[in-house]
Amino acid sequence: MSEKVLKLFKSELRVINVGLDIFYKDLTRQGVKSIQVSWQPPPKLEKKLDEALKKLL
Amino acid sequence: MTVVKNLVKKNFFRDSLQLMRLSEEVKKLPGILDAAVLMATDTNKEILQKLGLLTSDGEKALKDDMILAVKAEDESAADEALRKIEDMLMKAPAAAAPEAERIYYSVDSALEAMPDANFAVVSVPGEYARDVVMDLLKRDIHVHVFSDHVPIKDEVEMKRYASERGLLVLGPGAGTSIINGKAIAFANVVRRGNVGIVAAAGTGLQEVSVLLDRIGLGVSQALGIGGNDVKKEVGGIMAIDCIRALEADRRTKLIMVVAKPPDREVMRRITKVIAEETTKPFVICFQSLREFKPPKKLARRVKAVRGLHAAVIQAVKLLKPKAVQKAHKRISMRPRELRALAMKLAKKLKPGQKYIRALYTGGTLMYEAMLIYRELIGNVYSNAPLSSKYKLPDPHKSLKHSVIDLGEEEFTAGRPHPMIDPTIRKLRLIEEAKDPSVAVILMDFMLGYGSHEDPAGAMIDSIEEAMRIAEEDDRNLIILGHVCGTRKDPQSLVEQERKLKKVGVQLFPSNALAVIASALIVKRGKVRADRLRRVYRSFVGI
Repeated sequence: MSEKVLKLFKSELRVINVGLDIFYKDLTRQGVKSIQVSWQPPPKLEKKLDEALKKLL
Repeated sequence: MTVVKNLVKKNFFRDSLQLMRLSEEVKKLPGILDAAVLMATDTNKEILQKLGLLTSDGEKALKDDMILAVKAEDESAADEALRKIEDMLMKAPAAAAPEAERIYYSVDSALEAMPDANFAVVSVPGEYARDVVMDLLKRDIHVHVFSDHVPIKDEVEMKRYASERGLLVLGPGAGTSIINGKAIAFANVVRRGNVGIVAAAGTGLQEVSVLLDRIGLGVSQALGIGGNDVKKEVGGIMAIDCIRALEADRRTKLIMVVAKPPDREVMRRITKVIAEETTKPFVICFQSLREFKPPKKLARRVKAVRGLHAAVIQAVKLLKPKAVQKAHKRISMRPRELRALAMKLAKKLKPGQKYIRALYTGGTLMYEAMLIYRELIGNVYSNAPLSSKYKLPDPHKSLKHSVIDLGEEEFTAGRPHPMIDPTIRKLRLIEEAKDPSVAVILMDFMLGYGSHEDPAGAMIDSIEEAMRIAEEDDRNLIILGHVCGTRKDPQSLVEQERKLKKVGVQLFPSNALAVIASALIVKRGKVRADRLRRVYRSFVGI
């Protein structure tokens, strides 16, 4: 079961950072290849609109 | 005349780190005396109140709203600043990672740019973590989930899915991991070596990895699994997978497990895996009221301790028995030495100065402190106590001996963790200094990636003010500290310790020693020798 984990332990880290950019910066400072995904919460729909959409879908 | 103004933006979200940085920018604007931009949680409103930055408009804001608060020399400077903040907020996502070559707005587009990604760090708000993590796991990517407040059913779902596919889900709520020598989230720069760590305790992982480094040992991999992993609902899924992975990893020669005591069934499962599937030596550090006893047949290679310092000493005993004395010299102080120091410091106190106030940013270190105090001075009050009887009615006000975890929800809702933003602890330290019954203040200073760029420096003015408050009241305040870090950390251990020593903070090489010293001080050295020896054996490893 550990094969994928052992492979990770032997590979160069290539990181996707989703959220706080401080972690992206720190990874980059350590020379780790990383990319930053800027995340925002999904927009909150008004209740009526949300219910109407749910009915439609 | 000074003007304080609040502007409330309804249902408007930015993460607390972005807002902290934005606040710093605003403070530099012309005519601005103080400013804060933050989500309108109760904690944040209370802080604004204490800073004199809250108006009736801000008071009415709800938790999904954002408050823009400024104190300015005059009305026009305040209005101008508020206008500027709104402009800056509109630019915030792009400005958030100014060093990034490109910012992506979805996992899909990120993966197109980095198709061979093998690891992800996720720090979105807990309620949204599952969707992001499952997306990553489906692409065969191991994930470190920093997010807190992830529903436990989501954690079970993510971990089961990952485990079936041989992937790691580190966390949720994992503050620290070290993978292939690289610090993930809050972690220190420690040497690589042959100790593999599985930890359900973030600052516990930091403390053991730092102490290992100081005595010349190193870390092969350090895997933070999140505090809930060893609870009944999750069943130790990742604890077990990580133990198996470290057993199979050729670099790892000893496996260290650090956690609060697991659920009984989980404990049985972990013990069974250790007994039947492993051959490497283990150090088990369960931070429990009573010593965990490994099964007799495992006693030779599986050692159990209760303290982080003791775990590190136990690791040396198993890996390099000849180096034990040298290790003690580097990080330990003998009981006699510690008692003498405590007596010397206690002489500065007035008879009415009786209590300890420990202000922690590291949750595991705080928990260890409570376990030690329980044996040396009895139960202590806390916002997260060992027994509910000692829960502080108001977490913002200490009682008698109080040990505070400033990283708990009531202090961090809508705010950066106190390891990043020292504001909460600075305010609390001043409050404690005003109380004439306080003898000792104890603080941890967490270094490493993720943490504040200068945790010691950020506290200095408050430490000096606290000492001045005591002095003006004709008493001395004893301030003890432990800096959890290494020389190679971005903040540098040497530099941080120098700053604290300069203002009179008494420093200790480990959390356990600082805690024992504080207990000896308030007891004026009067702790029975056998009791002190017992605590030393469990927590320091002497």
